[in-house]
Amino acid sequence: MKYAKLYAEDIQVGSEMPPLVKPPIQQIQLTRYAGASGDFNPIHQDAAFAKAAGMGDVFAHGMLSMGFVAQSVTDWLGAGSVRKLGVRFAALVRLGDVVTCKGRVLAVRPPKNGDGLSLVDLELWAENQKGEKIITGKATAALPSRA
Amino acid sequence: MPIQINTAIKGKEYPPYAVTVERGKIKEFARAIGDLSPFYLDDTVAKAGPWGDIIAPPTFPITFRDENADTSLLLRELGVDIGRILHGEQEFEHFKPIRPGQTYLCRLRIADIYEKAGKSGPMAFVVRETTVTDSDNDIVALMRGTTVVRL
Repeated sequence: MKYAKLYAEDIQVGSEMPPLVKPPIQQIQLTRYAGASGDFNPIHQDAAFAKAAGMGDVFAHGMLSMGFVAQSVTDWLGAGSVRKLGVRFAALVRLGDVVTCKGRVLAVRPPKNGDGLSLVDLELWAENQKGEKIITGKATAALPSRA
Repeated sequence: MPIQINTAIKGKEYPPYAVTVERGKIKEFARAIGDLSPFYLDDTVAKAGPWGDIIAPPTFPITFRDENADTSLLLRELGVDIGRILHGEQEFEHFKPIRPGQTYLCRLRIADIYEKAGKSGPMAFVVRETTVTDSDNDIVALMRGTTVVRL
């Protein structure tokens, strides 16, 4: 496998990222993410706690959804390509929700550091199965040129 | 009645803490997200790749925790129960790949604390910035996270 799946020449302003559709959120994934990340906030694990806190039921770690968004970029542009990734968590993700990550290219900047890497600026968002945005954000990825 | 939080920690810098990245933790983290890229999971494929080893996914630095600079301590200092917080925003900048076996130094500061009215009542926003450097003292990653407190 090569470093990036695409070259800078393959990307144009307005190009749409292939959507990444993740499996429905299950409690076991939230438990697994807690262990992997070290975020053991009971609001993601314990329905009684979440209810007492006024949140109705457990909800997913925002960072899990951000991980999905990061995956959507690296699936398209290659592992190790992300230089910057910033998101706002717009809505809670609940058990059973299906998160779809989408994006489009805002700009392609030619290499200037002598490293030969172009910088691709992306607008990103993720939606639940009702089409509600659960994340909005931006990313910058570095891509080699074909030449 | 909205709660009062301790805003005196705005600007506070926590003691720097070291984190050694374990190979298995990178894989556990990638699998928890369901991101099965071989560059995170497959030692053989990654060895033949551009980095000569697996690397960590972009959001992995969120795992760089220390009991002297973590969310539990922050909440105690703010005087806030964990059930009141939400993750508002998060940003990562990456300058070098994060690799297994490497030890990184993390410097955390409270960049800002401010309050404003939200849809469902008054909110406080606590902005934490972490600088991650490697053994060459190069900046590897920057993290900036905003925690929302329902007051």
